[in-house]
Amino acid sequence: MDGKVIVVTSGKGGVGKTTVTASIGAALALQGKRVAVVDMDIGLRNLDVVMGLENRIVFNVVDVVQKKCKLKQAAIKDRRIDNLFLIPASQSDDKSIIKPENMVWLCKKLRREYDFALLDCPAGIEQGFKNAIEAADEALVVCTPEVSSVRDADRVIGLLYAHSITPKLIVNRIVPKLVEKGDMLSHVDVVDVLSIDLVGLVEMDDAVVVSSNTGNPIVQQKDSKAGKAFNRIAMRLDGHPDLPVEDPMGHDSFWRKIGKKLGRKKQE
Amino acid sequence: MTIQQPPVKLKGVGDSLWITMDASLPAETLKQELCKPFERLQHLAVNARVILDPGESQADDSLIDDLGAFLQQHFQVGRVSGPPKAKITPAPAGQEGSETGRNAQNPWLHHSDDTLVIAGRVRSGQKVEARRHLVILGDLNPGAEAIAGGDIIILGSLLGTAAAGQPDNENAIVLGLDLRPTQIQIAGYVAAGTSSSSGKKPEFASLKDNQIVMADYLKDNIFKRLAWPEIR
Repeated sequence: MDGKVIVVTSGKGGVGKTTVTASIGAALALQGKRVAVVDMDIGLRNLDVVMGLENRIVFNVVDVVQKKCKLKQAAIKDRRIDNLFLIPASQSDDKSIIKPENMVWLCKKLRREYDFALLDCPAGIEQGFKNAIEAADEALVVCTPEVSSVRDADRVIGLLYAHSITPKLIVNRIVPKLVEKGDMLSHVDVVDVLSIDLVGLVEMDDAVVVSSNTGNPIVQQKDSKAGKAFNRIAMRLDGHPDLPVEDPMGHDSFWRKIGKKLGRKKQE
Repeated sequence: MTIQQPPVKLKGVGDSLWITMDASLPAETLKQELCKPFERLQHLAVNARVILDPGESQADDSLIDDLGAFLQQHFQVGRVSGPPKAKITPAPAGQEGSETGRNAQNPWLHHSDDTLVIAGRVRSGQKVEARRHLVILGDLNPGAEAIAGGDIIILGSLLGTAAAGQPDNENAIVLGLDLRPTQIQIAGYVAAGTSSSSGKKPEFASLKDNQIVMADYLKDNIFKRLAWPEIR
């Protein structure tokens, strides 16, 4: 059976696309799937650093597309997780070196070789974005609970629909304390504006910063909230679409829940 | 050798289609020539206002009426008229009056329907334009734009930018079931959306003393006071 190519995109930069790609890739691989994570941010690669594989790069995705090497030669096996492979971006080229038709060819190869291929899309909606979504089967839109991120995600969702891809939403970096105080958008507001299927809510977690600096996958850290959330997203992508989305705001006390049911409004 | 001018030229002027034609040609030839651009326009020509301009060539009213009837029959265009008289010769007294009089008697007959009704969510970066009124059955997201020559009615949340009454219709309103706009424009006036508007109740924005004001639609419905239903 052919694998799936999933593009991870957001429009805005710095919302956690690369972390999401690496984490979901690792989680899927831990569930026994053959996974490739592909860095499409040509010229500004960093998925290799987040995964701690920067010193092993010999070939990159541009070499594959230009047929200087085979796909298997460019795929770097992860240090800790079997079945997880990184196809790094080139650091010296720019995005226009790959054409959309190259991507159709590349994605065909990826589908044949892997169960899941996650494409880490660059920020923006220019050539790099167009390349990344060109031949993708599915899309994950990463959005943080900020107005600017929501607006960019909305734009990207429009472009994905125009490309006949139905995107799914991950709300990243939720800080329940701020949401409770009313200083941060709640994920309900975000979903309300974007109105696409929600596939996961990820809480802000300091462990993510540590893990991306050390190259240890966050999903292997048992006590990390973000890690757990990524594991659940991976399960939802892999045959358990009905697994309920855990609400990070759900730590309400018993009495407050009763209060909510009775229609008592929270003080604003 | 002279440069051959096309017998019929079409361009959009304001809210109408302006057709420059060589009236010295026989009516049948003109009809054939008119078919070409209108066939390309397809449904866009439906209910469009058409102005037939004979340019420097002389054309009597009967030719314009004849061609107008032809266009209305074949392409369902709206009102067809000659060029505005004021530009060429001063209009004979009474002619304009008779026309507005006719409109006042039974306006339904002359109502050209160029209201755009769309369903769905207008997302950031998307832009919807209507020649006159615009109705959106859905939401207008932040970063999205709605532009209309007349009113904008959003049966959903209005969070983006809405420009009604463009370019100079000061009677236009913007109505939303949940009005929390980024910005509202009516005719040439601009108002920045404020976070103070509560939303979740039908509100409308209109122009009052050169300022855009928002009001609860159910409480301060300006149309309740009209004596007789009229066409917007």
